[in-house]
Amino acid sequence: MKISIDIHVNGEQYPAEVEPRTTLLEFLRGTLHLTGTKEGCGLGDCGTCIVLLDGKPVNSCLVLAVDANGRRVTTIEGLAEDGKLHPVQQSFIDNGAVQCGFCTPAMILTTKALLDKNPDPAEGEIKQALGGILCRCGSYQKILNSVQAVGKGERK
Amino acid sequence: MMSQKGSAGYVGKRVLRVDAPAKVTGNAVYGIDIELPGMLHGATLRSPYPHADIVEIDTSAALKAPGVRAVVTGKDFPCYFGDMVRDQPFLAVDRVRFVGDPVAAVAAETEAQALEALEKIRVKYRELPAVFDPREAMAEGAPLIHPDFEKYTRNIPASMVPHTNICVSRKFSLGDVEKGFAEADEIFEDSFSAQALSHVTMEPHTAIAQFTPLDGHYTVWSPSDRPQRLHKELADALGLAHTRIRFIVPYVGGSYGGKNTLRAEAIAVALARFTHGRPVKVVFSRAEALTATQTRLAAFMKLTTGVRKDGTFTARRAEIVWDNGAYISNAPGVANRGVLTILGPYRIPNLDLVSRLVYTNKETTGSYRGFGTTQVTWACEVQMDIIAAKLGIDPLTIRLKNAYVEGDAYINGQIMRDVRVKETIEKAGREIKLEKDSTSPSPTRRRGKGIATMLKSTATPTDSFCAIKVDMDGGVTVFSSSSEIGAGEQTMMAQIAADAVGVPLSAVSVPNPDTAITPYDHGVSSSRTTYHMGNCVQQAGRDVRKRLLGIAAEVLATDPERLSLFEGNIIETGVGQRMTLKELLSKKFNNKSGAIFGEGHFTPAGNPVLEAREGLKGISSIFWMFATHAAEVEVDTETGVVKVLNVAAAHDIGRAINPVGCEQQIEGSVILGISNTLFEEFKMENGRILNDSLSDYKLATMEDLPKIVSIFVEAEPDREALAVVKGIGEPAAAATAPAIANAIYNAVGVRIKDLPITPDKVLAALREKDNQKGR
Ligand code: FES
Ligand code: FES
Repeated sequence: MKISIDIHVNGEQYPAEVEPRTTLLEFLRGTLHLTGTKEGCGLGDCGTCIVLLDGKPVNSCLVLAVDANGRRVTTIEGLAEDGKLHPVQQSFIDNGAVQCGFCTPAMILTTKALLDKNPDPAEGEIKQALGGILCRCGSYQKILNSVQAVGKGERK
Repeated sequence: MMSQKGSAGYVGKRVLRVDAPAKVTGNAVYGIDIELPGMLHGATLRSPYPHADIVEIDTSAALKAPGVRAVVTGKDFPCYFGDMVRDQPFLAVDRVRFVGDPVAAVAAETEAQALEALEKIRVKYRELPAVFDPREAMAEGAPLIHPDFEKYTRNIPASMVPHTNICVSRKFSLGDVEKGFAEADEIFEDSFSAQALSHVTMEPHTAIAQFTPLDGHYTVWSPSDRPQRLHKELADALGLAHTRIRFIVPYVGGSYGGKNTLRAEAIAVALARFTHGRPVKVVFSRAEALTATQTRLAAFMKLTTGVRKDGTFTARRAEIVWDNGAYISNAPGVANRGVLTILGPYRIPNLDLVSRLVYTNKETTGSYRGFGTTQVTWACEVQMDIIAAKLGIDPLTIRLKNAYVEGDAYINGQIMRDVRVKETIEKAGREIKLEKDSTSPSPTRRRGKGIATMLKSTATPTDSFCAIKVDMDGGVTVFSSSSEIGAGEQTMMAQIAADAVGVPLSAVSVPNPDTAITPYDHGVSSSRTTYHMGNCVQQAGRDVRKRLLGIAAEVLATDPERLSLFEGNIIETGVGQRMTLKELLSKKFNNKSGAIFGEGHFTPAGNPVLEAREGLKGISSIFWMFATHAAEVEVDTETGVVKVLNVAAAHDIGRAINPVGCEQQIEGSVILGISNTLFEEFKMENGRILNDSLSDYKLATMEDLPKIVSIFVEAEPDREALAVVKGIGEPAAAATAPAIANAIYNAVGVRIKDLPITPDKVLAALREKDNQKGR
């Protein structure tokens, strides 16, 4: 049995038929071919699959596509506007927060959500917000710097 | 900052990574992201037993399952691979040797169908006695894991002890160790262990393979750190000409030594052979990545060290037993390099070293950031602290007293150059204020400081080849097989190429490797890439620049000696700018298209330790890496929880090619070091890994981030950067663990000698200390 859904991804409507058990992650990567969202475990443990659902970070491997029906999804592909990088993306580049880059989309999206809520978060708050995303390259120091740099008014 | 005359000097500058824009936008295509027309999905059936004979496999029901296009077993594809010893079947043939050993694989239209079909495969096993502890596996009468070892093809000197599980046994001695002990005032004997660890690359192991039946050609998409070596390994395993195989490397989501062997590749290749040309994609689940790829070698080390009252070393005896697991990857190299650095960066005149690598019925092991050095540095530097405490010498002084200095001979007689270990000790110690006690916030939250130093060698001699192309518009492309695994390889190559050719950094592109196109390179391992491929790219850049200036001299009818190339412009002495590179090349090619090539080849002098049949004489490492980490920790005496507050990490890096990249490597390694020291370990039951998920196999997160200060110790500025540059990928991870352990001792007076340092071990040690006091 398939269910009809209509998801709003990165500003576009995507009507589709999905199996009820299809996760949002599978839908984004498999059906829409938006592979910027990464899968590191599929079990909710690593955080690399984070996307924004109505502006809030969620592990897309734990959310069903049907639960995202009628809601707004932002993936890393939808962050740059008119070919201009989002200030968080720019800050990650400028502050050397990218190594292998596999955790980067999740880190950036989560940072965006954090800063939307609080433009100048304290260090502890940043660590807590990003604490659910694993970076094995260990870029935490530079990611922290990047978030603080955007927070400190570099943000437009 | 040294730069080539006439270049803009990108080498040494803080430049932004060339791969960052693709990575922050989600445009970077990793192994797991690739989709190809007609692509099938593969899944692997794995052994539930640690050691068993395969009596029978029935795949008939799986073959008929929906969507299934191929099922393969070891009988269908009886090939073996192995870089050093060809002991590893693509899929088990007759016998399984660890829980997770691949037994059969299925290719189906969807991943779900492949997984469902796996359940329809019936395997009958006959269980065999298994052995999990390498010390037990060495004992007489232990079950033999590879009775046919003698028959395997080997690329390393045979040093197996016949009819045992000891696959490599090695002894090394220097001076007279008994005499050394006799000269000592104190003799210290301690045992240490370092645990097995998973690389946990955030991108799980992935490969896509396609086989073209008509010409017998394999194409493999593999996010690997050494594609050329895998290419060779596969060609050897299948007995195919090199030109029949092609490895294409997409973006790589981390490696740390974990993606240098055929894992998902082996399964994908075996399946692709039977899918009539359709490509097969294999993505390991996180559980497979944790339990069936490879781990760091666990090591059991016994160190006996003789010291004089004044803190001078007289002798050391070291015995190491390394846990190899079920098959040999590059563990012999790890065991070798590890034992030969168990003296640390110190002068010890008399040595007696024994190292044994032993098969067990566990996951295969191999390189892991540090290649054996992390395990031995752990033992060496914790014992150093024990010695210092007993002799009443402070940890800094005893290290400085014994540390190598410029011109000292290493144990193989090699005179070491560019030795700046003392500077790393002094700088790290000063930064953390080692001489000053920490202030503890409460009687149950005790703070302390500790320090540890390390030495590491690099693989020597190893080869790097590359080519550089200059297109008609002045664009420069570097063809190299050094994968960008996250360590900044592409950016470093782009900087060096821009300087060497004389073009802006933005004109340079460094595509990912493709073994059909990019020339041979030993691989991104042993912290060798910046030095080896860096020099190679510089050579190729200078080569093509010479050609370009030759063309310019012709076109401008002048002497090439009068010309130079700066930021893409041809400049003539006394005249100034003559034309752009683009103008020059459109003239040369008559406004049609064309390209100019340069080539580079770099192999430093040296004698590989591994193949040293006449002892260890000569050059075993073209450069020596030194680092010192100093840590401040807080120990909660009620819970046993250790928190790392500050780390000062001083590295002798020779010269920073891109300081941002150096910081990334050092900070990243400190985090890895903390994670390895405090959190990570496998829980096993009867050969089965119980914590096969990232909720149970714990890693450090951003909440564990201490304040990290990276300190570069560099060579004199008048020397050319690429002559003095050293690796920093691995040394950083080695010194963190003993620095933390030594800081714990400083805080609460207990010594932990077995990694990881978990709260229960800390509590048990505290309790024992209290008991002893009470007695
Ligand atoms: S893939 Fe969703 S949390 Fe790991
Ligand atoms: S940059 Fe590699 S996992 Fe974060």
